[in-house]
Amino acid sequence: MPERVVLAIGTKKGLFVADAAKTRQRFSLRGPFGPGVAVYAALIDTRGTPRLFASSCNAFFGMKVLRSNDLGKSFEETASAPAFPENDGRALQNIWTLEPGNDGVDLWAGVEPAALFKSRDGGDSWEMAEGISNHEHARTWHPGNGGLCLHTLIEDGDRVHVGISTGGHYLSEDGGETFAPSNSGVGAGFVPDPYPEYGQCVHKIARHPGAPGRLYMQNHGGWPERPGIGVLRSDDHGRTWRSIAEGLPSDFGFPIVVHPHDPDTVYVMPLEPPTRTCPSGAPAVWRSENGGGSWKRLAGGMPKKETFFTVQRDAMDIDRLKSPALYFGTTTGQIWMGRDGGEEWTCLFDSLPPIHVVKVAVV
Amino acid sequence: MTITIRIPLALRAYARGASEITAAASTVRSALAELERDHPLVYRGVCDETGAVRRHVNVFVNADHVRDLSGLDTALAPGDVLTIMPAVSGG
Repeated sequence: MPERVVLAIGTKKGLFVADAAKTRQRFSLRGPFGPGVAVYAALIDTRGTPRLFASSCNAFFGMKVLRSNDLGKSFEETASAPAFPENDGRALQNIWTLEPGNDGVDLWAGVEPAALFKSRDGGDSWEMAEGISNHEHARTWHPGNGGLCLHTLIEDGDRVHVGISTGGHYLSEDGGETFAPSNSGVGAGFVPDPYPEYGQCVHKIARHPGAPGRLYMQNHGGWPERPGIGVLRSDDHGRTWRSIAEGLPSDFGFPIVVHPHDPDTVYVMPLEPPTRTCPSGAPAVWRSENGGGSWKRLAGGMPKKETFFTVQRDAMDIDRLKSPALYFGTTTGQIWMGRDGGEEWTCLFDSLPPIHVVKVAVV
Repeated sequence: MTITIRIPLALRAYARGASEITAAASTVRSALAELERDHPLVYRGVCDETGAVRRHVNVFVNADHVRDLSGLDTALAPGDVLTIMPAVSGG
């Protein structure tokens, strides 16, 4: 069967799946799955037979994990969703990220309130990862406007990075058993100490597997008195971070994405701090091809004015084709695709519900 | 006793542009009362009609959030810095 480009699109009203041939000329859309229920996390798991996973955050009846074994033609609920132990005192509010683990079937789920769960059976049962979930700092983290969420998990051999809003970046070097805050150089604009040990409002972290030790972070920037703390880079596995925001129109934004074939190429979507929307009403993705040394505005095909959407932390992704395309979903329900690494943009769908997450894979 | 109150950028226009002011206060509550007397529009941005600190405003004494101390009854010492900051918010 020829490979296809598959998009998993989590929205306020359920999960949509779109796919197209590798030419990406015409995407067909199906869904919503889990209709009417918000989806904040999606995963296209390409280990073995491809499977799709999505969280389904039912405000009335609780959390579900959806799973598809047929590339998103149909979904079933897994046998259970993550849940805090009895007497823990916390109750699951949302699932913010689903990530594959190191072996063939294990999955991670980062949740709200900030905690981490692991499944070793494809999502049917879950156990809490105590090292971060019951970290001595855990009860002192505080929610940002999106909630107190563990939204980023990056596994790199025995290293596990997590991003928490607002908790900061935590690093495990023993496979996720124990974690320590690792935020040297990561600023915060909402507490008196500009560089606290932890408690930063990290928005997203990304890495390229071909660049050991390199990480990129979109942190909560946009603070006039603490400029440049929003877009950061680490070259030592997240132990120290430095600003790479110079040249961007704003250091506020949510997603950050790395090119699949070039660890020096990184993408952000700067937003105006007061509104969290497109600067001057003109959306653009910004790309650096030298690891954040300089930035170029990419807006070909996008509106030039009167556009005020937000792109949320997991609503931008890039496919792995030879000349990859970038995709982002907006809070106004549009899916945009930028061919040639973002050089030319096309609106694939323009009237979906508000979009929380976009994931792409070639399967 | 004299303490310093740091004003967030968004409220400085109501304090004639000042980034910080001084007050004679022994508790957070009395500092806010002084703020209400001398800079009522700044105070209104910090506290609602009931006198409660607004939901998305954080008040720190030096590096500590007052919710981790004794709230508005937190005692102040000479030289303390009361920092008013907007809570983190996104989306």
